[in-house]
Amino acid sequence: MMGNSEKNVQSSDFVITKRTLGALLIALGALAFVAVLLLDALRGSFGDFGPTQLLALAGSLGACLLGLSLLPLGDRPA
Amino acid sequence: MIGTLERTQSMPRLLLLAQQTLLSIAALLMALHLAVYFVYAANLMAFPFDYDQGEGFELNDTVLLSQFQSPYRNNEVFPFYASNYPPLYHVILVPFAWLFGAEYWYGRLVSFLATLITAIAIGYAVQRATRQRLVATLSGCAYLASNYIYHIGPLFRQHISMVMFETLAVVTIATVSESERPRRLIALSLALLLAAGYTKQLAVATVAAVFIWLFLRGVRRAIAWAIPFAAIAGGIFLLIDWSTGGQWWLNVITANVNQYILGQYTGLLRQFIGLHGALLILAVLMVVYELYLDRLSVYSVWFVAAMLISVLAGKWGAGDSYFATAIAGTCILAGIFAGRTLNNAWRLPRSLSSIQRAMPVLGVVVCAAFVLYGAAVIKLPLDMPVFAQIGQILGVQSNTKFPHFYDSAGWTMGYAIIGQIPTAQDIANGWRIVEYAKADPRPILSEEAAFSFRSGKPVVTNPTQLLNLYNNNTPERTLYDPSTLIAMIEEQAFGVVILRREVGQTAILGFYPPPVLAAIERAYELREAIPMNGHEYTVLLPRPDWKKP
Repeated sequence: MMGNSEKNVQSSDFVITKRTLGALLIALGALAFVAVLLLDALRGSFGDFGPTQLLALAGSLGACLLGLSLLPLGDRPA
Repeated sequence: MIGTLERTQSMPRLLLLAQQTLLSIAALLMALHLAVYFVYAANLMAFPFDYDQGEGFELNDTVLLSQFQSPYRNNEVFPFYASNYPPLYHVILVPFAWLFGAEYWYGRLVSFLATLITAIAIGYAVQRATRQRLVATLSGCAYLASNYIYHIGPLFRQHISMVMFETLAVVTIATVSESERPRRLIALSLALLLAAGYTKQLAVATVAAVFIWLFLRGVRRAIAWAIPFAAIAGGIFLLIDWSTGGQWWLNVITANVNQYILGQYTGLLRQFIGLHGALLILAVLMVVYELYLDRLSVYSVWFVAAMLISVLAGKWGAGDSYFATAIAGTCILAGIFAGRTLNNAWRLPRSLSSIQRAMPVLGVVVCAAFVLYGAAVIKLPLDMPVFAQIGQILGVQSNTKFPHFYDSAGWTMGYAIIGQIPTAQDIANGWRIVEYAKADPRPILSEEAAFSFRSGKPVVTNPTQLLNLYNNNTPERTLYDPSTLIAMIEEQAFGVVILRREVGQTAILGFYPPPVLAAIERAYELREAIPMNGHEYTVLLPRPDWKKP
């Protein structure tokens, strides 16, 4: 009985699609990119990026690009 | 069965033979790795001192808990000791402490068993997904064969037990969508995640991975489970913090914020890829396939999260062990990729259907990947029968600081300098240090707790913990004030001071905060430097001519 009700709950649940996942990755990547820049500005050394910050910026750009590549996959479940 | 027959009939005999030959070679290599690992583990269990720096402090945590005392204490009060890890691993060992006292073998045995359980879970996950028994076995063995797992597997450290709980949690929840009892599987998996998190903080990445995956599969269900999970995990956290008067937060969270060394991380990442690259390629291909052509499995999300958290390997005091979770994820994904390829069970879109025809050749490639991996992670004790002969056949010689130990990993910053089998001389030298500790009735100040346990003295200080807190002091906030410890040193309240340094170094070095080391140098003088396990233990005795200012 518990299994059936669980299935019902699942069937009415909201499943993330490839497109939504892509959009989420773009949003998170953009947010992280801006956050790294903001943090740098708040420290008063804007533009003087160290290797760790460059790595973080590259990672956030990578997340955006990955998200972009998922957008065309549409409504297939992620 | 039908699939196997079809496969056998349709595949050129030569390719099938190549696959079987490569799998047999991979199995032989894995058997060698297992033998080396078992011998190493057995020798470590018999070793009565710290083999890896910090083991003794985990033993001390176990002893304190067995006496119903908190290991989360005020570092500024004698014995200036606090633990920087959550307690579950030590709680599990408490019955051993009651039965056998303060001994190293049971912590090492439990860690060793944890690696075997993890390997079995990996094998089970691959077998369940592919029905390829040999590939499943190789995948489980691949975990144990890794130089990193070999390194830390049989140590009195909590990290590898965390990986066991993480792996069990992920393997448990992986089939929740097909299960008739999904609630039970989720509840069990989350309980295992809780155990992982209270074994070591690093499990937070796996917790995130599991909830992200649950979120992808059903938003409402993920939120419904996340709320009670956060309440229970957070409740336990707050309860411990309250019961220790804030020492839990200070020692488990604040003290673990260390300097970040990017070069250490990039060096370890390069080494990690060099050693595990053959399987990593299969694992990454599996993630790409699921990302673009199928649904993401929990294994893929977990693998990505584990790779991301491995960035913390660049923290001061961290190291190769931070890749252990990623290794478990790699082994599962690589095993499933290999099994599916051998089964020709990929579901590809029409545009990629030509790949299907290349599957027998790809099957040979995935089998070769396991052979390449097996060859890449070779480490051998060259002074032991059989292994010495194998070393001669392979043409390998010691490439480490130890005269009889070959490690294909080489060395990079953060890679622990261990892996050799301790010698009888190491053990004898350890007892010589203990004699110094016993010769004076006063307590000792030692960077390793073993000498305190073996001389029946209290464990005083956890040096790296004091250093971490001291380094995090700011003008506005003092996390650790060493003045009481310095006063005791200047009063020569300790009969012996024992520090560790690299062989060949001449200065008085150690893990203590600089003012503590300076006080030691003022009030104590070097009596003897005793080698053990590739390090030099400096034994310092009170200066007879010292007068406290």
